[in-house]
Amino acid sequence: MSTDTVTRPVGRYAYDEVDRTFVSQRVAQFREQVGRRVAGDLTEDEFKPLRLMNGLYLQLHAYMLRVAVPYGMMGSDQMRELAHIARTYDRDYGHFTTRQNIQFNWIRLEDTPDILERLAGVNMHAIQTSGNCIRNVTCDEFAGAAADELLDPRIHAEILRQWSTLHPEFSFLPRKFKIAISGSPHDRVAARFHDIGLVAHPGPDGRPVFDVFVGGGLGRTPIIGVKLRDNLPEEDLLAYLEAVVRVYNAYGRRDNMYKARIKILVQALGVEQFREKVDAEFAQMNRADYRLEPAIVEGIRARFGIPDLDAPADAAQKLEADRKADARFDRWVRTNTHTHRHEGFISAVVSIKPDGGIPGDVTADQMDLIADLADAFSFGEIRVTHMQNVVLGHVRKDRLRDLWLRLDGAGLGTPNIGLVGDIIACPGLDYCALANARSIPIAQKLSARFANPELQENIGNLRINISGCINACGHHHAGHIGILGVDKRGEEFFQLTLGGSAENDVAIGQIIGPALPEDETVDAIARLIDTYLVLRHEGEAFIETYRRLGAASFKDAVYAPA
Amino acid sequence: MDVRNNRRDMTGASVITANRLLDGRIVWLAPQGWSEAISQARVFDNAAVEDAIKQAKAAADARTVVGIYGVQLDPDATQITPLTVRERIRAFGPSVHPDFAPVETPHVH
Repeated sequence: MSTDTVTRPVGRYAYDEVDRTFVSQRVAQFREQVGRRVAGDLTEDEFKPLRLMNGLYLQLHAYMLRVAVPYGMMGSDQMRELAHIARTYDRDYGHFTTRQNIQFNWIRLEDTPDILERLAGVNMHAIQTSGNCIRNVTCDEFAGAAADELLDPRIHAEILRQWSTLHPEFSFLPRKFKIAISGSPHDRVAARFHDIGLVAHPGPDGRPVFDVFVGGGLGRTPIIGVKLRDNLPEEDLLAYLEAVVRVYNAYGRRDNMYKARIKILVQALGVEQFREKVDAEFAQMNRADYRLEPAIVEGIRARFGIPDLDAPADAAQKLEADRKADARFDRWVRTNTHTHRHEGFISAVVSIKPDGGIPGDVTADQMDLIADLADAFSFGEIRVTHMQNVVLGHVRKDRLRDLWLRLDGAGLGTPNIGLVGDIIACPGLDYCALANARSIPIAQKLSARFANPELQENIGNLRINISGCINACGHHHAGHIGILGVDKRGEEFFQLTLGGSAENDVAIGQIIGPALPEDETVDAIARLIDTYLVLRHEGEAFIETYRRLGAASFKDAVYAPA
Repeated sequence: MDVRNNRRDMTGASVITANRLLDGRIVWLAPQGWSEAISQARVFDNAAVEDAIKQAKAAADARTVVGIYGVQLDPDATQITPLTVRERIRAFGPSVHPDFAPVETPHVH
């Protein structure tokens, strides 16, 4: 790691010359590969793995470029560059994904090297956003800000990013591999639905330790991850994770892509035998080569900018007065903010789910506005959430209403976080080559139907997740209400699951019955929600009522005759 | 390419589609090359479409497109219309963005 002096961006790692050179060289390499493909020197079969290693898919209508947002953190300069790309090379849109990345749906192959070069100019890239490698490490969207956080996980997320980037052993795993890390006792990263989920907390000596979950995932075979290790010392983090991925690399199935994820291996071996193999690998490794010394960690930490959390003493009082004076603002504060560790600050969630809108879609102008607001209100720092929203992490309480007024004026002030309108949806059949059914229209219809903010708040916490196919990019198994699109002889049907959760009360949603035709699905969900409102006890959330009563109480409502 | 996209009945008619290499856009095999407009597509009997797909893959301009396959048509439609939702979305654009629909101006190349 070099020691060049650079402006340290708040909340994320400042690239050094090594990082910049690496990304630039990679762009040049891909430019040459594209040239060979266009000239006919590479066949599509030869070229496809090369473009995928650079995040470039061929989707339904065009090429799709998936740009990495490491652990969901980016700066205003990066957001402005994404806006420029959307405006210049796409159709004015970007789409935030459930892995805290951004996708562009209308990219031309011949433009891609130029786009990657522009991204490199703001220290971004699309490496390992596809392929059977370790993908973008995801992280708590309130990292470094949340009042309930025990340890800022971003430093270790960055260490994992550097460890996993172009790792020579792990570039051709049996399947893709996803890691999430949290430093809060409240699981906001779906740790138990990842190939590896890490929950960090301080150990007895104050240094971080990690609880390690392994073998979780959604998709065709949803499985809740099992705890492999408690209190893994920080110094062994890389060695232990290397041991886990080595065991997977050695024993994971390569003969059947549907059985190739680590979750299948853990289930096949049983957790005890899997742990034995990991421990045996760990024991024979030269741990000194992997030891994460405190000095290394502090070197990484030193490249992160720290916000100057200085607020007037009456900031909280000002916010309270603003809330009393404006009921609409008060509602937005109730739904779209999160408690900050500093009493004068608060984290604001910008809903990318306007009533009747497309979850996760942002226009170039909205991206520019978010960048401006990040500069004005949150130290230029922006977080993309796995719920497909955006967080401004450090907003002074006395300035929160000013922020809201500007968001609201731009259609970004929808007060629906955690409510019916905060729907997670994959791009579905409108864009995705793998999908069986459209996710977005169902999300739009539900969102429009429940647009009334009083109604949404009355219904309360309710997670609706929609996937357009069994690959479950919309995490439908983890939704309180999950919706899965299926294909029946070329027509769309939707299967409902109930009772899922990706949080501390983790659960896999259960199928309630036969799939519904597209034009009956939204009505069925509306009846299901009406049933909950009738059956709930005072203060009982949907998931609690469902768990108390079971699926039978809701089944009649879903399948009521039209 | 997923085989499910290339399924068809014994009877009926199909058109042939692909994505253009340079920009990824959807194209349809027309009498004189590949067109962005499905309305310009050449219609084959299903009995003949396999041979036509083979010929398209072997043709000199096959290098300019990727993923050539056949798309069964809706026999009840008055215009050239794919039978499945998936292929209708490919032909007419994302249902959630009518403004992104392919331009229906004939563009044969």
